[in-house]
Amino acid sequence: MKMKLLLVSALSVFGFAGLAQEVAYEEYNLENDLHVILHQDNTAPIISISVFYHVGSKDEDPQRTGFAHFFEHLLFEGTKNIEKGEWDKIVSANGGSGNATTNEDRTYYYEVFPSNNLELGLWLESERMLHPVINQKGVDTQNEVVKEEKRLRVDNSPYGKFIENIKKNLFKSHPYKETVIGKMADLDAATLDEFKAFQKKFYSPNNAVLVIAGDFETENAKKLISEYFKDIPKGAEITRSFPKENPITTEINAKAYDSNIQIPATMIAYRTPGLKNRDSQVLEMISTYLSDGPSSKLYKKMVDEEKQALQIGAIPVTLEDYGMYIVFALPVGETSLSTLNTSIETEVEKLRNELISENDYQKLQNKFENRFVNSNSSIEGIAESLADYYALYGDTSLINKEIEVYRSITREEIKEVANKYLKPNQRLVLEYLPEQNSAN
Amino acid sequence: MKNTYILLLTLFSFIAVQAQVDRTVMPKPGPAPEINLGVPQSFNLNNGLKVLVVENHKLPRVSMQLSIDNPPILEGNKAGVASLTGSLLGLGSKNITKEAFNEEIDFLGARLYFSSQTAYSQSLSKYFPRMMELMADAAIYPNFTQEEFDKEKDKLITGLKSEEKVVSSISSRVQRALAYGKNHPYGEFTTEETVNNVTLSDVEEFYREYFVPANAYLIVIGDVNLEEVKSLTEKYFTSWTKAVPPSFSYSQPKNVPNTQINFVDMPNAVQSEITVQNIVNLKMSDDDFIAALLANQIFGGGSDSRLNLNLREDKGYTYGAYSSLGNDKYGPSRFAASVEVRNTVTDSSVVQILKELEQIITKPVTEDELKTTKAIYAGSFIMALEDPETIARYALNIEKENLPKDFYKSFLEKLDKVSKAEVEAAAKKYFNVDNARVIVVGKGSDILSGLQNIDYKGKKLPVLAYSKTADRVETPDYNVAVPTDVSAQSVLEKYITAIGGKDKLESVNTLAMMAAAEMQGMKLDLNVKKTSSDQLMQDVQMMGNSVSKQVLNGDTGYMIMQGQRKDLEEKELDAIKKESAPFTELQLVNDESVTIEGMEMVGDKNAYKLKIGENKSAFFDAETGLKLQEITVTEMQGQQISSTSNFEDYKEVSGIMFPFKIIQTVGPQSFEFIVSEIKVNDGVSPTDFE
Repeated sequence: MKMKLLLVSALSVFGFAGLAQEVAYEEYNLENDLHVILHQDNTAPIISISVFYHVGSKDEDPQRTGFAHFFEHLLFEGTKNIEKGEWDKIVSANGGSGNATTNEDRTYYYEVFPSNNLELGLWLESERMLHPVINQKGVDTQNEVVKEEKRLRVDNSPYGKFIENIKKNLFKSHPYKETVIGKMADLDAATLDEFKAFQKKFYSPNNAVLVIAGDFETENAKKLISEYFKDIPKGAEITRSFPKENPITTEINAKAYDSNIQIPATMIAYRTPGLKNRDSQVLEMISTYLSDGPSSKLYKKMVDEEKQALQIGAIPVTLEDYGMYIVFALPVGETSLSTLNTSIETEVEKLRNELISENDYQKLQNKFENRFVNSNSSIEGIAESLADYYALYGDTSLINKEIEVYRSITREEIKEVANKYLKPNQRLVLEYLPEQNSAN
Repeated sequence: MKNTYILLLTLFSFIAVQAQVDRTVMPKPGPAPEINLGVPQSFNLNNGLKVLVVENHKLPRVSMQLSIDNPPILEGNKAGVASLTGSLLGLGSKNITKEAFNEEIDFLGARLYFSSQTAYSQSLSKYFPRMMELMADAAIYPNFTQEEFDKEKDKLITGLKSEEKVVSSISSRVQRALAYGKNHPYGEFTTEETVNNVTLSDVEEFYREYFVPANAYLIVIGDVNLEEVKSLTEKYFTSWTKAVPPSFSYSQPKNVPNTQINFVDMPNAVQSEITVQNIVNLKMSDDDFIAALLANQIFGGGSDSRLNLNLREDKGYTYGAYSSLGNDKYGPSRFAASVEVRNTVTDSSVVQILKELEQIITKPVTEDELKTTKAIYAGSFIMALEDPETIARYALNIEKENLPKDFYKSFLEKLDKVSKAEVEAAAKKYFNVDNARVIVVGKGSDILSGLQNIDYKGKKLPVLAYSKTADRVETPDYNVAVPTDVSAQSVLEKYITAIGGKDKLESVNTLAMMAAAEMQGMKLDLNVKKTSSDQLMQDVQMMGNSVSKQVLNGDTGYMIMQGQRKDLEEKELDAIKKESAPFTELQLVNDESVTIEGMEMVGDKNAYKLKIGENKSAFFDAETGLKLQEITVTEMQGQQISSTSNFEDYKEVSGIMFPFKIIQTVGPQSFEFIVSEIKVNDGVSPTDFE
């Protein structure tokens, strides 16, 4: 209650104009507990059909890493009524496009079509949920594809191994310590029955959100959704309990080697709270302040003015149980990594000890408002946000209200949160070095 | 009565809900959707500026697009003035400095760009009034300074220079020049010379004459209302002085009487760029416009089109083959099919493109092709509508191209109705296989004879040679006979004499060279050491880190690539041994396997070409005897990769001539190494080869 009052007063003090934006949506459950969200927007005759499954790499058996991502691929292999290899052809021959993504927490499949193909999209996604074909042939095909993807994105990609090295150092017991792509040996060892069991456990209507966004007629859409999804049987209830991490109290130092690079990098990472925690949003603001774009503090200082760094950047990773805030820098010429670390810490220290300037604060607010507005500019983007807000944040209405959270963050709070999470004894310092055998 | 009807309907839908869907049948698409395009409101200012407003309140943001629809401008001997004017616009104004201007836009989280006849901005709607003020201020009161002019001119010239070696840039320049003529606004091009003719006052004059409101449109899209836009534009844009731009007359381009090949020699090319083009007269307002789009889409509009399926999927000649069909309300534009292929399949590719053209002109497209192409086209058309800029472009097209108001609204319906016969008729009308120009830019010595021997409909196609600036030149003859008194041995002897003489070269036991090149702002250092007893060390460093290193020490050797050390195998050792001597030509002069292959041009110099072993050729200046170039072909992962070294700027060190500039080219990458130091019989120790 007190919090709400504070929020109102903050708003009035800074005099923000109210946003005219309102993403209208409707949500309900089918009898099998499939959650449905409809967002109607008839501006353009486009429709997005997507299914969010609340399953990611953290849900895997620790001996079978990579399963969730593997299923992202496997569930394109065909269904009882869609032959192997036909899925993509059907989508493109009907003027559509589609894809899927996986992370630690969830898997997301989507198609975007001209709006006269709503029924086709529902057919495709309901087939994927009801009738996936999981056989050895499909597993073998995708096993090769996933390995190729790993070669491309991780093994042969400069700096491609940074995330696995940060995760294994920041997390000791929570499954976030593993990567999304997983270990290839685990995939090789997996049996067909294990894949089938994973499908049965996680890819059920009660663990999914169906989002229809764009140009449709509501009653007709509801009718079709019911026809295609109502008979998909409900799965067993899923309970999650993951081990908690102990706080980091002394600086962690680690090294990693990469044969694809010539220029080393320093990476400083902090473990941050899960995405439902308000501090997570404050940290996103901090990340933008420090390192987003050429006018950010670290870029201006280290790249522009002192020419210590070739490149600098930050990646705030927001996940369900914990997050990560990662700052990286590549040195210019002979600059040592420790010089870069000192420069970064100087700026982080300022955040802990001083308030950011009024002008910088207003600029941050402008940036977040722009980002918020533009994140809702595509139907597909809105559909994905709706699913995320419902399933991960537990509050679909954040689609319209999240900006209020950012607006309510004060300069004082930024300082407070920097002190809570970004102290030197809470960080990981990773030296990311070129892998080089000695010349002799 | 009405109620009963509703009741029946509800009953019916109730029944429908209960019906089981047949999952074995793929659902059919519904009728093509109509497009709910925002209808622009519009008004004019007294100075001629036409304002279109597309209200869209979904998101609190506004984009503005200022676009001046002047007829094509002939820049003549000051070509480049338009581009320079564009670069100098938007750098603050007479009222606000460049720094303050950029900082404010950054603070607002907004964007603002200019080109010679356009401006674009995007911001939150609450900052829209200020953004319009900034845009108008920069547009109406530009601050053209000599300092910024000089900077932009340098940038433009640097850009032009780097384009001179790029096959695709030369090709696109020649395509336009030949299609339209060099004295046509679409055919003229910018050169270093024309840029140097431009002065600051030319930019001011260009701005004064063409950056005028007579043909200008300002489109405002987003969370605004008409009244607000009206009062703001009146406030900020009224002071824009009314003026009408001058107009030009120029000749009308025509197709050639017979299909011919127009060839441009680029000796450095490893790929040929082929374009088959003809002039078309097509306007968006033409009845067969959509049929023409479909014909092009089927022929070469996407990755599933015929051209790509043939040249890429079937033959594997190229990474991609595509065509484009222009349209222009002012006059003729081009149809062009383009492809980049490796040298050896240049003539075969020409034959295949002409064959596909012949096919689409003479045979009807299939029902299936038409259906799929329509679906893909409709899909991408519809998806694009989400972007407010697409909506703006459509609103503007309706105005500029004089299209019916429902042109886009009914686009999908019209698309759906296009028949096979209409597509066939459009292909016949707009694609031309009998009066086409086949423009080939590539390495003449590899491809010209193939082109001259193409058999097309029982006849050879005429091959006309052009320079890189699209002037007619004599067809080069790559078979210049080597004078009878010249042999491989005499060429090598002449070279040895030219750089210092046999005795001098034989007295060299060790050689050390340091050189450096720049790559994307980073320094690349090259360090080479050699001895006369099978020892070689070559180290390439980037920013102080070794990128690749090769070492030979008698019968052993190793290399380090990307941090991985690998011992050299016998075959590799043999190859590297041949390169390790300070002057390999001292051995080659006695090697009977070295043969003379003919004469070729290297740059503007006549050179003898010697073949050394299986994979290497060397070129020696016929006049001075100096070595100009070496080309080595290696096989990597099944692909032939050629690497070229050019030797320039010979200077004397310890009585021997060495090249002080070495340009190394592999694929599209080129490094210019400048030698900083050469030491003869000094600076090399045995530990260098450990």
